[in-house]
Formats: sequence, structure tokens, C-alpha cells
Amino acid sequence: MKPRLAIILLLIVLIPLGLMVWLGFRVARGELATVKESIRKLHIEKLQDVEGNIRKVIQRRERELLELAGSVKEDPYSIRKLVRSQPALRQVFVLAKDGKLVHPAVQSQLSRQEEEFLARAGQVWKDQAVFFRPSSETRPSTAADSGWYSWYWGSGSHFVFWHRTAAGRVTGFELDRFRLVADIIAELPDTGLSDSAPEGGLLSLLDARGESLYGWGGYNPGAQEQPLVSLTLKSPLSSWRLAYFRSGEPTAAFGTGLWFNLVAVLLLAAIALSVLAAYFFRESSRELREAGQRVSFVNHVSHELKTPLTNIRMYAELLQESAIGDDPKASRYLEVVVTESVRLSRLINNVLSFARHQRKALKVRKTDGVVDEIVAAVLESFTPSLDSRGIQARFQAGAPGRVQVDPDALGQIVGNLLGNVEKYAPGSGELHIESRREGQTTVVLVTDNGPGIEPAERENVFQPFVRLSSEVSDGVAGTGIGLSIARELARLHGGDLTLEESRPGSTFKLTLSTPE
Amino acid sequence: MKSLVSRMTLIAGACALLACSVKAGQVDLKVAVSHPVMLADQKQTAYLRIGLTGLPVVEATQRAPVNVAIVLDRSGSMSGRKLSEAKQAAILAIGQLGADDIVSVVTYDNRVNVLVPATKVSDRHTINAAIRRIRSGGSTALFAGVSKGASEVRKFLSSDRANRVILLSDGLANVGPSSPEALASLGTSLIKEGISVTTIGLGLGYNEDLMYRLASASDGKHVFVEHPSQLASIFKREFGDLLSVVANEILVEISCAEGIRPVRVFARDADITGQRVTTKLSQLYGRQEKYVLMEVEVPGMPEGKSRPIADVNVNYNNVVTKGSVSLSGSAKVAFSRSSHAVSKRANTKVMVSAVEQVAVDNNIRAMRLRDQGKVAEARKLLLSNEKYLNDNAARYKNEKLRTWGAESGKDADNLSPEKWKSRRKQMREIQFDMAY
Repeated sequence: MKPRLAIILLLIVLIPLGLMVWLGFRVARGELATVKESIRKLHIEKLQDVEGNIRKVIQRRERELLELAGSVKEDPYSIRKLVRSQPALRQVFVLAKDGKLVHPAVQSQLSRQEEEFLARAGQVWKDQAVFFRPSSETRPSTAADSGWYSWYWGSGSHFVFWHRTAAGRVTGFELDRFRLVADIIAELPDTGLSDSAPEGGLLSLLDARGESLYGWGGYNPGAQEQPLVSLTLKSPLSSWRLAYFRSGEPTAAFGTGLWFNLVAVLLLAAIALSVLAAYFFRESSRELREAGQRVSFVNHVSHELKTPLTNIRMYAELLQESAIGDDPKASRYLEVVVTESVRLSRLINNVLSFARHQRKALKVRKTDGVVDEIVAAVLESFTPSLDSRGIQARFQAGAPGRVQVDPDALGQIVGNLLGNVEKYAPGSGELHIESRREGQTTVVLVTDNGPGIEPAERENVFQPFVRLSSEVSDGVAGTGIGLSIARELARLHGGDLTLEESRPGSTFKLTLSTPE
Repeated sequence: MKSLVSRMTLIAGACALLACSVKAGQVDLKVAVSHPVMLADQKQTAYLRIGLTGLPVVEATQRAPVNVAIVLDRSGSMSGRKLSEAKQAAILAIGQLGADDIVSVVTYDNRVNVLVPATKVSDRHTINAAIRRIRSGGSTALFAGVSKGASEVRKFLSSDRANRVILLSDGLANVGPSSPEALASLGTSLIKEGISVTTIGLGLGYNEDLMYRLASASDGKHVFVEHPSQLASIFKREFGDLLSVVANEILVEISCAEGIRPVRVFARDADITGQRVTTKLSQLYGRQEKYVLMEVEVPGMPEGKSRPIADVNVNYNNVVTKGSVSLSGSAKVAFSRSSHAVSKRANTKVMVSAVEQVAVDNNIRAMRLRDQGKVAEARKLLLSNEKYLNDNAARYKNEKLRTWGAESGKDADNLSPEKWKSRRKQMREIQFDMAY
């Protein structure tokens, strides 16, 4: 009983705890993923902010250049003057409506800078269709338009902002790309000296080859370190990207906290459940102890009752045989005393057997004996009370041989069976008892003509303390352990006690292993 | 008689054409030709020299306010003596500035820190305390450092101020754009705004080509400092110069006369298109002379004739009186059959400048040869350059040329691997001084 209780209590603790661990783990993992995602979003937003600042530099440049575009004349002198005065510009070119290069005109006298420009701008002339393309399907190609164009030459990207007038003339401004970088750097934040910077990270602007143009923040990533997040810039800087580097796992600190909380909660739950389990254990073991004490008390009392009862019975029988027994009135009284003593001693035997059974101390001791003699003796002791209840017992004895049998056990079983008939089948007429020998076993059948037992209840009658709640048992006193003890004894005796199919009444079949 | 007449005409012409000097405001413009008299009937080469001299400011109160960004390298290699001397030098230099001057301090290693954003030098205490706190760090993001320095100067950019970035570096730029071309490009762009960069190379670890190109493209100055102890005096000199700036954003436009072909402009980044040549100078200090030297091809003319060479127009901002000033000048040459007359009338000052520029070209060529490992050829070229300088020093009785000649000789003796690293930096500094 106790180990089973311990296992149940352990399960009561472990199953919810396991469930909590599993759920907690899942929730924590989900939480961690959510946090990671939101941190990633935060970083992306940060990069988008920076991208916005870079965008501002480009837009400012666009505005300046659009303003300039209006004032550009085709006269080379004024164009050169413009290039000389504008820090952002490296070169300016002008294309006529038909795509012909007006400035710097190849056949004219060119400065060294203009010649260098023509050398690096070969790709531009190949792609010049982009300058003349209609800006959208709804707008004709004759509408004024502007845009960015970039190409790769030498060791890096070169940028052109172009503007097309309504008349179709295109002015292209080649930007000094290093100046552009310098302007963007000027717009971006610097790194404070004591700064461990944005949460120990590094924001870096990377060029087309992935080399850092500028970075700010207190963190120094390794040579091969991949950024946590990166963002490609918009045109015309689309070959560049912003990258955010950070030391270690960003959510590590958060994760540790989360796990710590989870473990703490689980620990608390485990403690609470254990306390609860311990409480239950204590309660139930106290109940068990108390029940045990009660059983041992009953046991004790039963033992104490047995001796005086035997004496009462013996003296009552002696009285029956003496002179007083001749008085019919006294003789009837004595018979009642004897019958009730027998019943009481059977009852006490049952209680003792049950108590032994509970202690696993119920035993069967086989000795030499004759089954028929034992059954007959029991039947004889029941005859007066059976008679008085209108039951006529008929014993068909068929096991007269000497065999190994426990006479007490057999007597108790048969007594219980007869006692039940006496109790539950009054006025049922004939009670048929039959014994026979089948090889090494002896079979005893007890058949009454009482109300019988419902098929559904057939096994239940053998459960201790089960008394069939029906008209059968109504108004009848009993302990509810008789059949249970009888079956237990039969089984200990290498046999069984079963309820056989029979109508009307009921037939109990007792099988005992009775070697010769 | 005829020869006398022609001689008289020639002298008169020479007097009229030899040199025309225009004085106005703070700058003195002198346009001169190397050979005011040229051999007749021959196509020849001549040098046109446009000399600009700053006139000293008489009253100290008149000086232009300075707008300077000090960009300090605080990379790991600067740690110790170098950084402490640099900090001390910067503090001393800022001490020379007045309350109306503007200063900013930018430090860089692999990151850039705007330590002191552009501010008036009224609260020296805070600025100095910030400088004292500088600690050395990691790599060298030189480009970003200059970019941030320039953007600080830009906050108070004015043609009435002496706008300058002073860059100190002791190491190779290794973060961000790091090629000499990239820095030259940045320099070219900065001078368009009137910002020039002084580059101070400290020790033997920096890239002198990069520092040279950045300084020359922005018409600044390049200095080689071998020992940290020299920093204080270099800063002092540099700031002293800045305090005496008299003219800013000097635009020189040369229109060559018909038939005259501009061949090249020495050292300076100039825009030559057809007959028109344009170049820009950043600043001019009081008593400082800067010049633009151009080689021109002059077609021959008959004896006795003369022809104009070029008209020169100079536009600058007078920082003392705060206003734009235009100067103009021109040069002509006469022709003679007498080679004696030609050489006798040669302009010594122009010739000395031409010799300097040719010698610089030779020196740079020799440096390139040495870079390619051609030590013997480099040595030969340097020795011939020494001789060239010394000969001309004697011919024009010019001490400066003699000094350069001696340096060229030293260059030739320091081509061995162990001495080359240091000497190359020195050569770069001397080339800069000779060329500008």
C-alpha cells in the first residue's frame, strides 16, 4: 500500500511539474524569438534612421544640382567655372536632344580633367538611353525629368545626377565620389571618447566591396564577423549598405534573465507541489495508521471474546444435556443460546480471518480429515436455525474418504455459505448440499431456492463489505465479509469459491485441493 | 644706327613690358616672363611667373579671424611621447589664438571623435581639458577624421576667415578610403570651398604620398616631423602663419595671347583649356610669396617686334578689409637676334622659380625610380639634379637654390634601405617646400 501511495504522490508532483517545464520552455522559447525579432526590428529601424540621414545628404545635393541645372549654359567656359566653384562636382557633361555630346566636346580643346572624364565615362554613353527614356508611361518623353545614374569604373562607383529639360537637353553632373563620402561622414554621428556607444555596437557604412567607409560605435568586430542586421541603401547608393555589428548574442542577457525566471517559477512550483504531496501523504498515512489501529483493536477484542463465548456455548450444551434440558421451555431457550453462540463465534472467526487477511497472515493448515464429516457437523449445528426459518437441508454426501484438508477453513466456508442461506433465503424450502470427489479435489455445492443473485452482481458478492442493495439484504444484519473470507480461504486451500448459474435460487460451488 | 634704334626700342619696350606690378589692398601681383627678350624667328619655350605677395598687416587688430580644425591621430602607434607632445603642441597652438578665432578638435583612431566641436576660443580651459583627456586607441580612419574636421570648419566657413584643417598623423590610413588619390580628390574638393589642409607627418610610419597629395591638392602645407619634440614649434609656426593670413580664395586666371600655347602649369592643379588657364590658391600670409609658374610655347617673330604673352586676372578676398579684390597684369616679349641680349635680359627671379620647379620634377622622378628599386639610376638623377641646382645657384647667385642642391646631394647619399624610409619623408617635405 505504502509504495503505491508514494508513487502516486510522486506522480502528482512530477506530472504537473513536467507539464510546467514543457510549457514554460515553449513559452520562453517563443518569448525569446519574439524578443529577438523585435530587437532585430529595432536595429533595422535604427539603420533606417541612418539611411534617412544619408538620404537627406543626397536630396540636398539633388536640390542644389537641380537649381544649377537651370543655369548651365552650353558655353564651356561657364561650365568649367561651375565645376571649379562647386566642391561636390567633379565634371559636368551636356548632351543634345539627339544624344550628341555637347560638352566636353571631343573635337575641342579639353582640359586634362575633361579628358580623364571622357576616359572613365565610356559606360555612360553606352547607357545614355536612360537619360532620354520617358519618366513614366503617362508622361511624354519630352517632359522635364531628372535622376541618378551610377556606374562602376576603376576602383569604385561613380555617380551622375542628370537633368533633362523639356526641350530634351540633358545635363549630367558627375559627383566627386570621395567628397560624397566625406559629406555623408560629416552628416553621420561620431564616436564619443568614453563612449561604449549604442549598446556596445558598431554601425558601419560599407561600400560595394564590403569595406568600411565609415563606422561609429564602441565595438570592434572581427575580420570575418557578420553583421547582425544590414540594410542596402537606396539608389544611387544601392551598391552600399549599412551594417550593424554587436558584441555577442543581443538577447543573451535577456535570455539569461528569462531562463532564471523560468527556473525560479518551476522551483517554486516544485516546492509547492512537494509540500502539498507531503501533506497528503501525512494525512493518508495517519488515516491508514488509524485504520490499522482500529483493525488491531477489533482483532484484539475478537480474541478476547472468543474464550468466554466458547465457555457460554459449552455450558449451554451441558445444560441441554442435564435435567434442565428436559424442560421443553428451558430446552428451547438453551437451543437459542447455543445457536446464537455458534453464529457469534462464526462472526468472530470471520472478523479474525479478515484481520489476518489484512495483515497477510491468513493461513490454511491441512490435516487428515473427512470432508463429509466436517460438512455434516456444520450442517448439524445449523439445522435448528434453518428449521426455524423454514429451510429443509438435504445433504448428498459423496466425499467420505480421508484427505488432506483444513477442517477449520472448510467449516468456516460452509458455515458462511449456510449462514447466508439462513439470512437471505428464509422460507425458501429445500437447501441442497452435495459433496463429491473429483481426482485430487473435493467439490461442495450449496444450492438454495431463495431469491437468487442478479448476474451483474455475481462477482461483487465476493468483494468485502459489499452488501447487495436490494430487497434481498434489506432489513438483514451482516458484516459483509463472509463470502470474501470464504473465497479467500478456498483459494488459500488451492481451490476456489464461485457462484454458479442456477434458477431459481443460487448455487455456490466450492472447490478445494484435497490430496489424499 | 639701326642697331642703336633697335636697341633703344628694345630697352624701352623691356622697361614697359618687363614686369608690371600692381599693388592693391593686401596682395602685390607681379607678372613676369623668364625671357622678356627672345630670339627672333624661332619657336621657343618661356616661363610665365605670376607672383603674389601678401602685404603684412600693420595693426594686429586687423588680422583675419582663424577658423581651424585640429585633427589628431590617436591611433595605437601614437601612444606615449608622440601623443603627449601632440597634445601639448595643440594646447600651446590654441594659446596663440584670440577670443574671436574658431577652433575645433577632432581625434581619430578607427573611429572618429569630434572632441571639441567648432567653437570660439573663449573658453580655453574646457578645450585644453578635453585635449588633455585624449587617450590612444586603435587603427587609423584618416579620411573620416579629415571629413569630420572639414565639416567642423564648414560650420563657420567664411571667406573672411583663415579656414584650415591641420592634420597630424603618424600611421597608415587603414580604415575607410585610404589611397592618395582619394585624399587628393578630397583636397581638390575642399579648396573649392576655401578650406586647405596642413598635413603633419610624425615619425616614420605615415604615408607621405597621401599626406603630400592631400596638402598639395588643397594648397595647404606638408611637414615632416621626425621627433615628437619638434611638434610644438611646428604647430607654433603653422598657427603663426594662419594668424597672418591676408588673402583668401585666390583665383588666378591666365588668358594666353593668340598664338601662345600654354604647355603646363608646374606643381599646381590647373585647368588648362585652350588659351585659358585657371588655378586656385587657398591663402596668402603677410610677407609670403606664392607663385604660379607656367610653361608657354612662343612662336617666333621678326626682330624688333613684340607680342603679348598673356593677360592675368587675379581675384581674391581681402580678409583685412573684407571684400573681393581684382588685380590684373600682363606680360609681353620682344624679339632680338642677339643671344647675348636674350640672356642678359633674362629675369632672374623667374629663372630661379623655373629651376626650382624643374628640380622638383627631377626629384620626384628620382623618388619614383628609387621606389621601383632602381637605386643606381635614382642616385645618378639626384646627383645631376644637385649639379643642376648648384650651377644655377651660382649663375643666379641664389642661396636658396644652393640649399636645395645640398639637399639633393643628401638625397643621393640616403638611398640605402635603412635610411630610405626616413629620407623619403624628408624628400617629400622638401619637394613641397620647393614646389609651393
